[in-house]
Amino acid sequence: MSDKTEPIGPASVVVVSGGSRGLGLAIVEDILAQGAKVAAFARTVTPELEAVAAAHPDRVVAASVDVTDVKAINAFLKEAESRLGPIDALVNNAAMGQDSLHVHTSPEQIAKIIETNLTAPLLLARAVLRRIMAKGNRGRIVMVTSVCAQRGYSGLVAYSATKGGLDSAMRTLAREMHGRALVNSVAPGFFASEMSSVLGQTQLDTITRRTPSGRLVEPDNIVPVVNMLLFKDTNINGQVLTVDGGNSI
Amino acid sequence: MSALSRDAIRTMMAEVLQAQGKSMPADDSANLEEIGFRSLDFSELALRVEDEIGDELNFDAPELRQIATISDVLDFLEQLQAA
Repeated sequence: MSDKTEPIGPASVVVVSGGSRGLGLAIVEDILAQGAKVAAFARTVTPELEAVAAAHPDRVVAASVDVTDVKAINAFLKEAESRLGPIDALVNNAAMGQDSLHVHTSPEQIAKIIETNLTAPLLLARAVLRRIMAKGNRGRIVMVTSVCAQRGYSGLVAYSATKGGLDSAMRTLAREMHGRALVNSVAPGFFASEMSSVLGQTQLDTITRRTPSGRLVEPDNIVPVVNMLLFKDTNINGQVLTVDGGNSI
Repeated sequence: MSALSRDAIRTMMAEVLQAQGKSMPADDSANLEEIGFRSLDFSELALRVEDEIGDELNFDAPELRQIATISDVLDFLEQLQAA
């Protein structure tokens, strides 16, 4: 008998929060393409996610659940496990944005950002890990954070604090779950689509020029990194993988 | 406390500019970039107005980005007070 801990296997049933659109939906589709099952939820289930669920009725559970509603989250996880089998992975993707100077952001809005982007993902990770551990299983957790956790960007004070908090929690969880779970973060830079809604073409061109890869980040750049963390045996653990074309270096 | 008048806000805006050695043009269509009134100056002005009216005037950055002239500043602060 070897005393070496065996690698944690690829994910088979993955919970994806905020899985109804954008990056979350792209991650859901990629997990299905990989052959695994998905339990996806979001505040609102879009027709796109409905179509994915209809196309894979045996491999997808999709529901409208508010990530801050702990009771509803626990009921969703239980229902997902009864239909898909034991959950062994989580992509903590749901988040709300911010675009306001700290001095002009109300205390209520700051509390809401913290609840949605930090408290809720921590509780979701806790709930998923409790289910994994109770069954004697092992698993993988991926936090979708942001380059904002590493660099300062105006208008994103509370948002950055939550993403930095999540990165810190990720590292501690990776150590705490010693051998029972791989826990990592993927930190995207600003998506071209997000920036184009607030910046002009000249500003976008300047940012693109200053990005060493010469390209702004797209959700499609993030999906393969999440895939690697969910399915490959890389022994990456407790790390933040920044995907921003080198803009933050 | 009741909302500040447009004239009162204009006076406060002039004070913000004067504190930086800049002057307030008479013409409200003057461009903010040209007179050196930056976004953080708007922020300072909004906080001064808040102090006067005893209430917070919170707002998102995209709304601030639409502001280009003195008139826009006055309009926006009037709207915020009325909201």
